[in-house]
Amino acid sequence: MSQKRKVGNVIATILKYAVLIFGAIFTILPFVWMISSSLKTPSELVQIPPSLFPETPQWVNYQEAWKAAPFARYFVNTLIVTLCTTCGVLVTTVLSAFAFSRLNFPGKKTVFSLFLATLMIPGEMLIITNYETIINLHWIDSYKAMIIPWISSAFYIYLLTRFFMQVPESLYLAAKVDKCSDFKYMIKIMVPMNKQAIFSIAILNIISSWNAFLWPLLVTNSQEMRVLSNGLVRFQTEAGSSTELIMAASCMLVMPIIIIYLFLRKYIIEGVTRSGLKG
Amino acid sequence: MKLKKIGASILAMAMATSMLAGCGQSAPAETAADTQPAEQTEAPAAEASATEEAAPAEEAKNIEATEVTFWHAMNGNLESVLTEITDEFNNSNEYGIKVTLVNQGAYGDLQTKLQASAAADALPDLAQAYNNWLTPYLDKIVKLDDFVANDFDNWDDVVEAYRDECSEFGFIHAVPYNKSTYVLFYNKTMLDELGLSVPETWADVQADAKAVMDAKNIAFIGYDDLAGVVEASLHQNGANYVDASGALFNDEKGLETFTYLSDLYNNGYARLVGEDGYFSNVISNQQIASYVGSSAGVSYIKAEGWELGVAPLPGNVNKAANMAGTNIVMFAQDSNKQLAAWEYLKYITSTEAMTKWAVGTGYLPIRQSAYETAEYKAYMEENVCAAACYEQAKDFFFSPTFEASNDIRSTVPSTVEQLVYDKADAQTWLDTIVEAVNAQY
Amino acid sequence: MDKKSFKGYLYLLPSIIIMLAFTIYPLIRAIIMSFLGDYSIINHGYTSIGFENYKALFADPDFALSLRNTTIYVICVVPASIILSLIIAVLINSCTKTKAFFQTVYFLPYVTSVIAIGIVWRWMFNSNYGLINYFLGLFGIDPIPWLNRPEYAMPALIIFAIWKSMAFNILIFLAGLQTIPEDLYRAARIDSTPKLRVFTRITVPQLAPMIVYSSVIGMIGAFKVYNEVFSLFQGKAGPANKAMTIVYFIYDKFYNSYKYGVAAAGSVVLFIIILVMTQIQLRVTGEKKKK
Repeated sequence: MSQKRKVGNVIATILKYAVLIFGAIFTILPFVWMISSSLKTPSELVQIPPSLFPETPQWVNYQEAWKAAPFARYFVNTLIVTLCTTCGVLVTTVLSAFAFSRLNFPGKKTVFSLFLATLMIPGEMLIITNYETIINLHWIDSYKAMIIPWISSAFYIYLLTRFFMQVPESLYLAAKVDKCSDFKYMIKIMVPMNKQAIFSIAILNIISSWNAFLWPLLVTNSQEMRVLSNGLVRFQTEAGSSTELIMAASCMLVMPIIIIYLFLRKYIIEGVTRSGLKG
Repeated sequence: MKLKKIGASILAMAMATSMLAGCGQSAPAETAADTQPAEQTEAPAAEASATEEAAPAEEAKNIEATEVTFWHAMNGNLESVLTEITDEFNNSNEYGIKVTLVNQGAYGDLQTKLQASAAADALPDLAQAYNNWLTPYLDKIVKLDDFVANDFDNWDDVVEAYRDECSEFGFIHAVPYNKSTYVLFYNKTMLDELGLSVPETWADVQADAKAVMDAKNIAFIGYDDLAGVVEASLHQNGANYVDASGALFNDEKGLETFTYLSDLYNNGYARLVGEDGYFSNVISNQQIASYVGSSAGVSYIKAEGWELGVAPLPGNVNKAANMAGTNIVMFAQDSNKQLAAWEYLKYITSTEAMTKWAVGTGYLPIRQSAYETAEYKAYMEENVCAAACYEQAKDFFFSPTFEASNDIRSTVPSTVEQLVYDKADAQTWLDTIVEAVNAQY
Repeated sequence: MDKKSFKGYLYLLPSIIIMLAFTIYPLIRAIIMSFLGDYSIINHGYTSIGFENYKALFADPDFALSLRNTTIYVICVVPASIILSLIIAVLINSCTKTKAFFQTVYFLPYVTSVIAIGIVWRWMFNSNYGLINYFLGLFGIDPIPWLNRPEYAMPALIIFAIWKSMAFNILIFLAGLQTIPEDLYRAARIDSTPKLRVFTRITVPQLAPMIVYSSVIGMIGAFKVYNEVFSLFQGKAGPANKAMTIVYFIYDKFYNSYKYGVAAAGSVVLFIIILVMTQIQLRVTGEKKKK
């Protein structure tokens, strides 16, 4: 019986890893292809059948891509915009999610539904009006224009509210008995308990503001204010595009995020002990 | 959940605001179809001291030092050449004019940004634009007729088709700048090997295509721009394409044209670009013998192990070749800025700067005199593409712009693709395309 | 206003201000625009007030096609992505040493830029030498011209979209799995409950809020699909425009045809569709259980 069970367990484990590894290969291949394409010559790129790896890595592609735009400046701008937006998002999201999940006030449900409803309108329709607003505020060509419209997101508020609602109400009531203020309770209990969710929101937001393209292009004019993703179009014209340079620039674009991801993961996730607060 | 209720209340609110907005505004303004621009943008000479500026060409002009912004979509090497020429202007002009180049991404991004800026009343002083982008904000463009008449070194030197294109709204609205044309790129090695000559007529195309198909079992020709090939083929057959009233090719000549095109596709002599995106990729790995595409795309063809040839488009009863590339329009409101911007436009379109631009980028000179400089002649000697473009400069035509023209441009390619997939006959091609075009009005 | 409700709105204030300015206000303008005939965003002129744009919209065969495609897309992508992500997330969570590794790998596609992803996927779908046809070939299936024929445009788009949306769902589910109290599993282990039963009786119900979230957000996102189409088909809506989606249609009408009113009407219709669907979805799933 237990022998049979052990065999079954081994098979299950093998199957599990087979699925995970197969999925991982499929998931990571486009990424590998991106890196390998960034090191190919233009004729290697269109070769039939294609080679997975270039014959001699063309590191010069990176040099050339780097030269095409002031990427160093773009990098600093992207960093500023991403960090400010993400901090803003975290503050507004935690506050709103706490209000929706723990506080009682008239019209709560209506406001919550309204928040959710704002997700349903295609953003493409809002862009021109928002651009006019930015012009009227005289925010053109400033960090404000790239940051402030994005520091509140119904998308994340909805997510965090769901996580906050998972936390047993009894904890809140206990805190109330202890005369713990709402704000203190939010900071001391709710936030640490949902570290992983907050980390997820941070990383999702970092990525979306890191890759934002059209909005930064619209609201900036000078080279000094542009962001990294604006550099990607430098390799496209109406008659063709230099794929190897786009790929090199894309690699330069995503590497910092992967580093940020790994860095944040290490310091945030590993600090969470599963049973700690939940006991 | 009260989503439904909220939906309803938003709607109610909207209606209320709508009424308010209606009150705030004056009567409905002119419709977009009304292309006559308002007299909002005055001719420069009429401003301020009219007497002094009556003949500005010779006398020293009175332009105060100012900054002019120029939005463009030139990337990579194109941008560096433009920057170099602009720097030269900034350093050499006597008025202290400083032109600031602003890269607005690719053409699509520039188009979006111009549209948004027109709505927000924040247009730049100068911008590159295709004519069909301009219809919604035609009344914000500065009329250049007086500038050209009083202060331009020989408008007649500009290639005629460009002049026509830049005045198609009834006034001169732009100065041509980065111009290209569609040419036939071909695999010279392959054609030589099969003993074929470069096709000059439709009949040549069919004969060569058959030979290539028999020998190599690949398509002979492809078209990057399907709307472009329909228009060019009709012109080549002496037929008309479209005007503001509808399709003009529902006749015998139109049927002949589509017989030619449908035969090419149905026999496998021509193919769609499909997943390859641009034919420059397809010809690079020798999967097709030739293709029609923009001369600006020549640098994307990687001819390794074969030799690239470039020729004018094959014709039938006529020769006709599409032009491509943008012109520069002026939006500057302030008369001093207008004068400054005009100084810049004169400079970059001058024979010398134009030659430099054309040699540096592969775009075509807009002036006859630039074609005739020793420098450009030497360039054509070495550059087969430039030579082919020059050869067909007399055959250029441009797509007319009117209210439905954008929709026609986007409908025709998908219609043609469907016809190719269906292996439709010529009559079906004609009927379907006529119907698709007329549905856009 | 009493103190309690004042406090609630105080917490919400930052979000509300931003949303009023950058979402609600432009939304109202879009709704107004949809009732104005021949509206111009440039000079704010219009020729009539009424349902003209809506009439034009429903008479347009491209809009009908886009409605059909978008519906198919939502029905295929959302459930498939959630089920696959759930399985992967649970498997990753059950690993001990390799967990961090797999978590990072499965997250990678999410960070790559849209432009690059589109190019990479065009290569994966290539009919002659693409990876997908290579795999199918292993099972004796003939090469499929994924991006060259109208009939394969939607399947290609759907596969791409499932792949693209999984990274996000896996991330959310993994975060959700952390909140399930360990003692529930410990109790199940003591009772030696079969794994499948643990999955259906503990994991899924405990993850229900995240699953509802993912399906609602996934559905809203799927109805608004645009970038995937644009990047996979290089700015077109597939061969012969046969992969036209609602937002692609709206975008095209707004930015290329300058039919602002029709585009606005299209987004109002899309808004209403999503509103109704979300409503139904919330009724069917989590919300009912809560009460």
